[in-house]
Amino acid sequence: MEPLHELLEDDDVLEIPADMMRLNMGPSHPAMHGTIRMVLDLSGETVANVDVQPGYLHRGFEKSCERGTWNQVFPYADRLNYVSPMLNNVGFSLAVEKLLDIEVPERCQYYRVILGELSRICDHFTSNGAGAMELGAFTPFLWLLKVRDWIWDILEKETGARMTHSFGRIGGMAAPPTAHFEEDVRAILPEVRKVVAETEAMLLGNRIFLDRMQGTGKLSQERALALGVTGPVLRSTGVAYDVRKDHPYMVYDRFDFEVPVGTDGDNWDRFMVRMEEIRQSMRIIEQALEQMPKSGPVSIDDPRIMLPAKREVYTTIEATIAHFKLVMEGLKCPPGAVYSFTEGGNGELGFYIVSDGSGTPYRVRVRPPCWYNLQAVREMVIGDMIADIIPTFGSINMIGGECDR
Amino acid sequence: MPSFKLNGQDIPFEEGDTIMRAAWREGIEIPHYCWHPGLSIAANCRMCLVNITSGRPMAMPIMKFDAAKNAYVPDTKPKLMPACQVDAAADMEVDSVGPDVQLAQKSVQEFLLLNHPVDCPICDQAGECKLQDYYLEHQAELKRKRTEPVHKPKGVRFGPTIVYDAERCIMCTRCIRVCDELVGDPVLDMRERGNKAEIVLSPGRELDHRYTLMTEHVCPVGALTSRDFRFKARVWFLKSADGVCNGCATGCNTHVDFDQRYGKVYRLRPRDNLDVNKFWMCDDGMMTYKDVHEGRVVTALIGRGEDTDEVIPEDAFDEAARLLRTVDKTKVGVVLSAQHSTEDNQALARFAQLLGTTKLYLAAVDPARIGWVGDDILRDADPNPNRAGAIAAAGGDLDESTEDLIQDVLGGEVEAVIALGFASAETAEQLAPLTKLATVISLTSNEGALPSVASVVVPVASWAESFGTFRNAKGMDQNFSRAIPSPAGIEPAWRTIARLADELGLSLGYERVADVRAELAVSSPVAATV
Repeated sequence: MEPLHELLEDDDVLEIPADMMRLNMGPSHPAMHGTIRMVLDLSGETVANVDVQPGYLHRGFEKSCERGTWNQVFPYADRLNYVSPMLNNVGFSLAVEKLLDIEVPERCQYYRVILGELSRICDHFTSNGAGAMELGAFTPFLWLLKVRDWIWDILEKETGARMTHSFGRIGGMAAPPTAHFEEDVRAILPEVRKVVAETEAMLLGNRIFLDRMQGTGKLSQERALALGVTGPVLRSTGVAYDVRKDHPYMVYDRFDFEVPVGTDGDNWDRFMVRMEEIRQSMRIIEQALEQMPKSGPVSIDDPRIMLPAKREVYTTIEATIAHFKLVMEGLKCPPGAVYSFTEGGNGELGFYIVSDGSGTPYRVRVRPPCWYNLQAVREMVIGDMIADIIPTFGSINMIGGECDR
Repeated sequence: MPSFKLNGQDIPFEEGDTIMRAAWREGIEIPHYCWHPGLSIAANCRMCLVNITSGRPMAMPIMKFDAAKNAYVPDTKPKLMPACQVDAAADMEVDSVGPDVQLAQKSVQEFLLLNHPVDCPICDQAGECKLQDYYLEHQAELKRKRTEPVHKPKGVRFGPTIVYDAERCIMCTRCIRVCDELVGDPVLDMRERGNKAEIVLSPGRELDHRYTLMTEHVCPVGALTSRDFRFKARVWFLKSADGVCNGCATGCNTHVDFDQRYGKVYRLRPRDNLDVNKFWMCDDGMMTYKDVHEGRVVTALIGRGEDTDEVIPEDAFDEAARLLRTVDKTKVGVVLSAQHSTEDNQALARFAQLLGTTKLYLAAVDPARIGWVGDDILRDADPNPNRAGAIAAAGGDLDESTEDLIQDVLGGEVEAVIALGFASAETAEQLAPLTKLATVISLTSNEGALPSVASVVVPVASWAESFGTFRNAKGMDQNFSRAIPSPAGIEPAWRTIARLADELGLSLGYERVADVRAELAVSSPVAATV
């Protein structure tokens, strides 16, 4: 490039070029969570237009589901929103159970609620923690991930895996709660509250944080509804839509909890909605621990659906046959199609599944909440500064695994 | 045609049909173990009990447990009837899915599994076992009995082909009926009763007639297993192609079960065809799959005796073309094969025509030499699957055999030979005069007398590796499908011949098997159907 003075026109007036600058952000960029590409048209530092291009993490999830048995979908479901895999596990179980027209025992429903809410806390901690970190607040990030690790310790004790649990089963869970489950969960809840309070004390009075969050990445209520946005992003615009409240599933109608909403739909509101939802999740967990039956079966008692106990498999022919058929052919869903939806970490997580009566899914279609939230990003960042993309995109909490599938 | 109602659906039936048979014709399965469409009715397994709701209802007085009163109270339940035994009658109404029937099926299934060993992991039947299928469909309850099961003999040698496991046996007597009714050799029977019952051989006998594998084929569980197939493969890894047995001129329809991972055929099973083999095959036919891998020629050969070179198929092909260019084409003896498909023979006969030779011969297996005996059940006297097809390919008239070929070679009328297949009535010694000729081209899938006297051996695809047609003794053309791929460089004989013709500047114009078939002078191809 020529030195600037040589570009000067005859009249010696230095002008900033009027053309937009085109800038690629991603797909390999630390703030582009997962892998996503934004093609920006910048006028100065202001975003004039943006083309959001997802798809870099497409792994053929839905197609892959058509190869195995219904239960073999769980490892894939884990890898949808891998920040809260248990919520996906539960969501998929509920969909197939709806098709089978069965209901799991009450103890299992409470167990699923508790594990799911723990996952939701992890999800919101990760989103808010990373969002703050990207604005330079590294300490709260470490505090929040410390809590996530405590929760992952519990999930590891329960499921054997910290992140990709593959713990759901159609008709129940892979294993009943451990004997120390309730004690473990009760032990961390006060600690979690403490960390939430500390984090808020650290951030909410911080001028820099406030300036970066308030009034940036705004989304109006009308546009949010028009774009199919759900979850904390929708609630931050003032719509109190939460699947747990509006279409209660499992035992959610038995709990007393609030649905926090924002007013402006900006980054600040999304941050605060998530913080409050963490508190509400803890309320739900406490009530669920109280109400959960202390004993009883976790999985339904039907060898056509659940694998029999290993002890039975090794010693009786009936259980051997059931095991053989379920493993080799898979459980048989009646032909038909259902749509089942739950409140995932980022909003309404839906499964539309079609069965042809064989042991293999005919079609599994996922409604990933991220996908719809991502649609709103373009409108949210246009007019903001380029640096505002970072907190805005962070507060969407787009998870590539779920968005691209 | 009169009809009755099964679960509300109209089922037409013929005079003398039972409920089961009429439903079977319609493709509806009423759960059953002992009934087999090709055998007499035993009605001993009780799995096919149905509720005949029309006519005068028969109610049996029973005592039923009433949980509210915590006592047994008098009640009635409908008398169920075995669907396999009750004749269908016009306007009859039959229920095979109602709660009473379900309870009966569940109870029967529970009794059958009462003493069944935990053998699925080591049982060859696992994956195609009716006990497994019906357990989930009709029982779906874990074991209630907590005592040791009754033990009975396992691994009993019934004969050279069959092993019997009494613990797995459900005493449906299908195997007994196969021996009695299909074969007419009552070598099996049942002794004792209840849970001590077992299948036994007649004293001093072995299960050694020509249809022993049919006892295994009809066994709905893993009680009878084939010694040949035992522990060789798990059935859920096997895929199946439609085949036609090449053991004799009957042309029994087969399922060719192969593992596509290894390109290996593991067994044949009879494929139902009421016009040909009904539900059955003979033991020798069931074992013909072995030729797909045993004695298979996968290496091309050039030369004879100690001067034999092993080469890749393409080199042998080039050598065959070179040799054919050097000889007097009118003095080429062309040997068709009664063991190869009509397509292969058609290609060779057309090739002979283009060469300008009229010296056609038919190579066929001699029943006396291989000890083949026909019978009135399935086995044709002629052990060649496609004699009729080969003759038709030659234009409908072909009396000359390989014996005539030897005479013509000795007489100097034939100076070169191109032969299809490995089979011939003569031994290698009897074919020795052919070794005097410099040009004897053998297109073969397996080792045999003809290839052993050839100067060039070009390997071609076996029946399991190609699509083709056999015309059986009744004159029916039956298609078979390819199961496994040929080894590298090996093609079906018709294509090798077509390429050979191209090499010599004589075009047959065959690109695909359909081209050959389009030209075939077949009267009416009869698709092999159930």
